[in-house]
Amino acid sequence: MIIEIDNLKKSFKEVKAVDDVSFRVKEGELFSFLGVNGAGKSTTINIISGILKKDGGNVKVCGYDLDTQTDAIKSKIGIVFQNSVLDKKLTVYENLKYRANLYGIFGNEFKTRLEEISDLLELKEILKRPLEKLSGGQKRRIDIARALVHNPELLILDEPTTGLDPKTRITVWRVIDKLRKENGLTVFLTTHYMEEAAESDYVVIIDSGKIVSEGTPHNLKNEYASDFVKFYNHREEAERYFGEKGYKIKHERDFIQVELKSTSEISGFFKEKPLLFDDFEVLKGNMDNVFLKVTGKDLSGV
Amino acid sequence: MFKMNECRKLISLVKRNTKCYFKDKIAFFMSLITPLILLVLFVTFLKNVYIDSFSSVLPEGGTVNKRIIEGIAGAWLMSSILSVSSVTVAFCSNTIMVEDKINFYVNDFKVSPVKPVTVSFAYFVSNFFVTFIVMMVVMLIGHIYLAAVGWYLNAGDVFMIILDCICGILFGTLLAGIVESFVSTQGGLSAVATLVSSMYGFICGAYMPLSQFSEGLRNVLCLLPGTYSVGIIRNHYMGGYISALENAGIPKEALTAIKDSFDANLYVFGTNVPLGAMYGILLGTCVVLVAVYIAIIMLKNKKK
Repeated sequence: MIIEIDNLKKSFKEVKAVDDVSFRVKEGELFSFLGVNGAGKSTTINIISGILKKDGGNVKVCGYDLDTQTDAIKSKIGIVFQNSVLDKKLTVYENLKYRANLYGIFGNEFKTRLEEISDLLELKEILKRPLEKLSGGQKRRIDIARALVHNPELLILDEPTTGLDPKTRITVWRVIDKLRKENGLTVFLTTHYMEEAAESDYVVIIDSGKIVSEGTPHNLKNEYASDFVKFYNHREEAERYFGEKGYKIKHERDFIQVELKSTSEISGFFKEKPLLFDDFEVLKGNMDNVFLKVTGKDLSGV
Repeated sequence: MFKMNECRKLISLVKRNTKCYFKDKIAFFMSLITPLILLVLFVTFLKNVYIDSFSSVLPEGGTVNKRIIEGIAGAWLMSSILSVSSVTVAFCSNTIMVEDKINFYVNDFKVSPVKPVTVSFAYFVSNFFVTFIVMMVVMLIGHIYLAAVGWYLNAGDVFMIILDCICGILFGTLLAGIVESFVSTQGGLSAVATLVSSMYGFICGAYMPLSQFSEGLRNVLCLLPGTYSVGIIRNHYMGGYISALENAGIPKEALTAIKDSFDANLYVFGTNVPLGAMYGILLGTCVVLVAVYIAIIMLKNKKK
């Protein structure tokens, strides 16, 4: 296990930001931490990375104890913050150099590492440019380069694609996928985007400082998400049929949407009443549904 | 105190802070413009007032080279500007420390294996360098003015003036580091810089000689260490001109009167404070400020 957290607690005055949280992150996996703003995600990350002190519980990262081996942990983790924390007036090269120096990486050792990161993230052409002159996608790549400058074992991404346009989000994820495949990096992700969480190996959902559910996306969807069947140009009898059986029906202009635990539940309907609709469409439940079911909160507006 | 690796990290952070500061042209310009405006205002509006004040202390009937009188007034103004600037520029130039907090850049240092005391010390050292550079530019411009109106300083005087500036900057940057460690907004930074810029010159006796204040107020102001930063620099700026007046045959009593009236001599409860004691008070205060600075860093780190 690369992260082992047991009974983690952190309060800000009366507010319990993290309330008895325990979880594990396996080496090499893409781990997602889901929650609305203020759920306790960033507080947990800030404790793991040494920005905040915990009130209680145990945290081990890469086998090191947070209470006694903080510096060793800091050398093993790289963080991409939600907002860039690099110096806008300085060039990419200067930013990476000064940050590498903080990890005791100087001179030729830095040059070798810079070469590796530049190849990996395709930075060579922008190394001499000031950060403020770069595009959003390029800046995000530099944030990731900064997080990797000391060759960490664990990469923490705190909502790395929030506020980015779709094209830049794809670019960022291409980089992260490449890092995972080529370097076997463990990635700890917090995100608002459910499609990003759906690609994870393991998901933990946190709400009001407590873990409310966890599992692989497949298991969570099986447990919490519903299937939806849309019937286009349906006859009234079809609506009556599902109504009598107690299914939740959503009316739209030219179709009704029936919510089911599993589509197989109504296989009989398709056989017995094929003339009650002109067309149909099956939608599998997604992580949005899981999140809504588990927390009662909709992430789409976040 | 520091291990070798931590020293290299400190040097790297100092370079980063200094580079960030000088790449922000507006910040550098604003730090430089304040003392230069003071110089221009002094020369434009107050020069003649001080020339008259110096002339009034000299014995009647004697003829003294006009360049000495104009020069000593200019030197007094320069000592005021440099001693005030050592504190006000330090407060205005400490922008990197506050901006790092405002923009959460400090979090990037907190997640790195670098000691909080190293990060804070780097802010202090870089602010020291920045303030020193700004002060040297102001000093250079001021000395060009002094050369034009009357130059009576020797290399030793200039060396001591630079040393005095260093002592003043040490005091100013430590004070700025302590006060601004509690500031975490742009508005707060502007407020502190404005407050210090407007007040400090008066309470350290730079804008008005302490001799013109009431005895009670004078004694109170002499309890403030900043007063001695002004005192030491006044001594070295005025020293060459006092010697020139002595060579021109001005009696010792008149020279002492000039020193007393224009704060080259400082008195606390009627007792003269020798130059060595002024250095002692100023540097002793710096030692206390270092201890306070370290204590604040430790406490803040413990609290997080």
